[in-house]
Amino acid sequence: MKMLLTNFSIRHPWLVILASLAMTVLFALQFPKVKFDNDPENMLSADEPVRLYHHEVKEAYALYDFVIVGVVNEAHPDGVFNVETLGRIARLTEELESLHRDSNGLPVVTYEGSSRSIDMTPQSAWTRVLQSAFRHDPNGLFDETGQSALIAREMLSPSRVDNIRQAELGSLRIEYLMEQPPQTAEEARRIRDDALANPLYNGTLVAQDGKALIVYLPIKAKHFSYNLSSLVKTLTADWPETILITGMPVAEDTFGVEMLIQMATSAPMAGLAIFILLFIFFRRVSIISAPMILAVVSVVCTMGLLIGLGFDVHIMSSMIAIFLMPIAVADSVHVLSEFYDRYHQFRDKAKTLQHVVGHLFRPMLYTSLTTIAGFASLAATPIPPVQVFGLHVAFGVGLAWLLTMTLIPAYIMVAIPDSSLEKLASRGQSPGATGLFGRFLRSVGAFSARRYPLVIATAAGIILVSLMGVSRIQVNDNPVKWFQQDHEIRQADRILNQHFGGTYTAYLNLQARPSQGDCDQARTQVAEAILGELAPYRPDASRLFLTELGRLPMASSGAAQGCLGPVMELAASIDAGHEGLWNQLADEINYLDPADLKLNTLPESLSMELARSAELRVLMDQLSTLPHLEGAELQEQALSLADEHSKLNLSTITARIETEVQAPAFKRPELLLYLEELQRHLEDNPMVGKTSSLVDALKKASFELNFQPDARDDRNQSFFSVPQSAAAAGQVFTQLEGMKKKDSLFHLVTRDYQNANLWVQLRSGDNRDMEQVVGDLSRYMTQNPPPANIQADWAGLTYLNVVWQEKMVTGMLSSLGSSFIVVLVMMILLFRSIVFGVLAMLPLSITILCIYGIIGWVGKDYDMPIAVLSSLTLGLSIDFAIHFLSRSRELQKELGSWQAALGEMFKEPATAISRNAVVISIGFTPLLFAPLVPYNTVGFFIATIMAVSWLATLMLLPALMTGLRHRLFSEEASIESSNSAGALDNAREGVNP
Amino acid sequence: MRILLFLMMMLPTASLAQELDVQQIVERANQAAYYAGRDGSADVEMIIEDNKGGTRKREFSMLRINLDEGDQKFYLYFRQPADVRKMAYLVWKNAGGNDDRWLWLPALNLKKRIAPGDKRTSFVGSDFFYEDISGRSLAEDNHRLVEITGDQYLIESTPKDPASVEFASIRTWVDRTTFLPMKAEYLDARGKLYRRVLALKVETIDGYPTVLEALAEDLVAGTRTLNRFSNLKYDRDLKENIFSERFLRRPPRELSR
Repeated sequence: MKMLLTNFSIRHPWLVILASLAMTVLFALQFPKVKFDNDPENMLSADEPVRLYHHEVKEAYALYDFVIVGVVNEAHPDGVFNVETLGRIARLTEELESLHRDSNGLPVVTYEGSSRSIDMTPQSAWTRVLQSAFRHDPNGLFDETGQSALIAREMLSPSRVDNIRQAELGSLRIEYLMEQPPQTAEEARRIRDDALANPLYNGTLVAQDGKALIVYLPIKAKHFSYNLSSLVKTLTADWPETILITGMPVAEDTFGVEMLIQMATSAPMAGLAIFILLFIFFRRVSIISAPMILAVVSVVCTMGLLIGLGFDVHIMSSMIAIFLMPIAVADSVHVLSEFYDRYHQFRDKAKTLQHVVGHLFRPMLYTSLTTIAGFASLAATPIPPVQVFGLHVAFGVGLAWLLTMTLIPAYIMVAIPDSSLEKLASRGQSPGATGLFGRFLRSVGAFSARRYPLVIATAAGIILVSLMGVSRIQVNDNPVKWFQQDHEIRQADRILNQHFGGTYTAYLNLQARPSQGDCDQARTQVAEAILGELAPYRPDASRLFLTELGRLPMASSGAAQGCLGPVMELAASIDAGHEGLWNQLADEINYLDPADLKLNTLPESLSMELARSAELRVLMDQLSTLPHLEGAELQEQALSLADEHSKLNLSTITARIETEVQAPAFKRPELLLYLEELQRHLEDNPMVGKTSSLVDALKKASFELNFQPDARDDRNQSFFSVPQSAAAAGQVFTQLEGMKKKDSLFHLVTRDYQNANLWVQLRSGDNRDMEQVVGDLSRYMTQNPPPANIQADWAGLTYLNVVWQEKMVTGMLSSLGSSFIVVLVMMILLFRSIVFGVLAMLPLSITILCIYGIIGWVGKDYDMPIAVLSSLTLGLSIDFAIHFLSRSRELQKELGSWQAALGEMFKEPATAISRNAVVISIGFTPLLFAPLVPYNTVGFFIATIMAVSWLATLMLLPALMTGLRHRLFSEEASIESSNSAGALDNAREGVNP
Repeated sequence: MRILLFLMMMLPTASLAQELDVQQIVERANQAAYYAGRDGSADVEMIIEDNKGGTRKREFSMLRINLDEGDQKFYLYFRQPADVRKMAYLVWKNAGGNDDRWLWLPALNLKKRIAPGDKRTSFVGSDFFYEDISGRSLAEDNHRLVEITGDQYLIESTPKDPASVEFASIRTWVDRTTFLPMKAEYLDARGKLYRRVLALKVETIDGYPTVLEALAEDLVAGTRTLNRFSNLKYDRDLKENIFSERFLRRPPRELSR
């Protein structure tokens, strides 16, 4: 049964080879369909609630992902605020706004009527080939309708953000911050001062020190970021200023583009390194071609399957080749190694193959099944790209096994001439078993057996230290840190986060639940206001009103909405009888011609009724203290006095309360003040560089509206605050709604003023830091509950990363746990022994503990590639243990004693294991030179995994087996009775049934 | 000689038999759209619709008076929503020059002058520009009669100073009977339509053809604003003095407050 596949392949090698070739071609044909996805957002499935919410928030406030373009000028004393730099920025802004596509599909920008095409095709031919292979269009800056990917109208640039400032005659000027590029140094500095005086711009658009400013480029989709940043680089290539481009979308998209290059270079480099090492061991290109072909076929088929099934190549799946290659090579190396060692016994390829496959079949089947289990368990994680990755690697491993059983024998039958094997056979021994390395291995074996307590104790010590390390692990990821320290994105990130409030964005969405304000409460408010403000002046009207108010029936719903309608009617009817003639008086004064108006002639110019009224007498009395007034001044004074009186009525006060009661949440002073407090608290957090909300816009507008050039500074400053009523806030907001950049206020508040968006800028994109801010705010809001029913939820890319990280950790733990159990059961079945099963799990357990211990101790963040490494460890280290244990058992049975078996174990079997370990760990060193950190991480840890599992397998297993030899090989124990430990063991044996 | 001169003067219009020349059309259109009567007043319901269909409503009343040489004064008084009630704007339109604007915020007890600025910016957050409300000076553009289609003239206007405005051209369809502009399309430098203003409903009031519903659409942002006019009156003999700063604080009786 188990020889079925291999026998068939030996009989029909060409058929197998052709079939494999056909399959490979078939899968390779899928490659042109490849689509890439480098959006970490897709770590969460599309219907994940937090992701849906994130999009809801983006939609509600018309928020976009930004490409952040920092312009830094350290040389000029005024920083970036000089005529030249600002002129260039104004030009860049217009060029970007004009971005469109010519008939060749190339981007075109226009400035002052002249257009130029820009071709961003890379210089390097290799990059060009790669990009065309991966269908990355370097000039792709347009959506499917041919529109620019840059949302020009939402761009934030000095020449495209609003500015309110004082102008001549105490007037207010509403314009762009940089309406025109400045002509003089003074104009340039004024732009700086205006920007710094606006809390929305200071630290967001402009650095406090004036040395830097940021242009925010909103994009239609994240995948345009890389090309847009290339465009900006091209347009600013001749600028003397430092141009820094960063932002989460740029980091993510740039990673994607560089990932393509790495996929096409790192994996083949690793392949080459493995090839060279195999050559050193086997010295025959014809021999070692087999594992290489096998690796390529498995990788091509797996990637072809992934692409063919319509999955996007993600950061994870781009590493499939790198993960699959060592596993695929390992399988075939075992077969080849064994084949060469045995050939001299049979001197017949077919017979040797039958023998080798015959006794490797079970361990190889099991090593593959366990590896499959390890990776397939990733399907249980809640992270779609990891699921896809796990299942495809599992498929690749299965395929590699099948190919080892079929293609390798077929290859040997066809491609390796008997003559070359004869030469090899005449040398009698396989290359690895003799020489320095062989002697070293044997001494390792001997040491482990002789000093087994020491080895076991050391292992226990390592486990202990590792456990301590594991407890120190911090889960953290940050897409910007996927680049190495000196990468331009990391540098830009560092510099801009020094100058500004932070380039990492999160949004806190505050949603007011429609609070059914109490009707009773609203009426009480009216009553209190009347009592306090009106009763002293209009006691009769007030008393009447309050009595009647108590008799009014409640609104049926009991809600505040509409409940003051009858109250308004009541107020109006009572006013009609009590308010007197103040309104008419004021009106008539208003219509008077101010010219020639004098105090003593004032009554004459009024109508009869008013001239005789008590109201006029009161007014004249009050005016008599200012006898010098005349003309327009007198009219103003008379008007304002009359106004004071006419305002003293029930309707005005009731209407005012009604406005306040019915005002939407974020026009109410108490909520605006709470929001202000919330911002202050957030900004106390060192992780938070800056926050922005509608309160900042409101305070700034209130200040500028109320500003009086000749007033005291503290008087003016006092208006840099939340106005005292909802009506006042509403009226200031109306001014902000009519700013030059239309609807920019609605990035911070919804149009109905029921929900507000707090824009939080963080200095770090680390999940850990974001998490800390989230926790801190939630504690603060529990301790200081908002004055209304407010639901606060986070959104934004920085926050999304936190959510999938959490999912990843818990998901990985459970997937590791479940696959561990599956593999343990498989081992028990394989060895038909619980003790052997447990032994087999030991090297991988120690390896996993050890690598995570190292991560903990070194302080390396537990990020996505590291999380996935546990599956790789499970798949790779178990192989060593299976091979070691099954061969040990066979040899022990064959030779009759553990002692003798141990000697043999450290000849050929240990050599095969060591070869594998060395090939794989050294083979992946090219990854250490990749410019992307996740690749370095994988490269480093593959080597570490190999080293630790190799040590654990070749030292701990023999040590433990020596210690447990009587339990492990019980039926053989009596043969060993002459051994020193025999007597005691025999006694124990006697007790056991 | 005289006859020759007469013939030469006739030449430009000869091709459009008995038709007005373009200057006459735009002048009459300007008159019909912005200068009907000696003065006028109206209540306006403004519905601002965002790109997701959400709406905001504002209600205000306006008074207008025509002065010499194309100058005008406007008074705007807000009634809804409740928080902006009694808020008022005063605009003195100086034909061929900058407007004077004042603002009254009753809840802040604040009168503020607004410096002349870009007239092509949103009017109180709507899709109408200040210029749509008060009119754009004819002298700022070159006008060309493109065609006469059925009952409409199609006029193309291009700015004399392209840097001063966001459009590259406006195509206006003017009714040949009422001379009211029925549709205006704004095109950008690449000839793309990005903004549209439509007269949806026209009626004759006090003898003046009057737009009762006007729609402005921002085709890029996907927002639009509908203005519904009611309670329209012309030739009320409004006095110029009510269009003064003093009447911001205490609005004129003419507003039917």
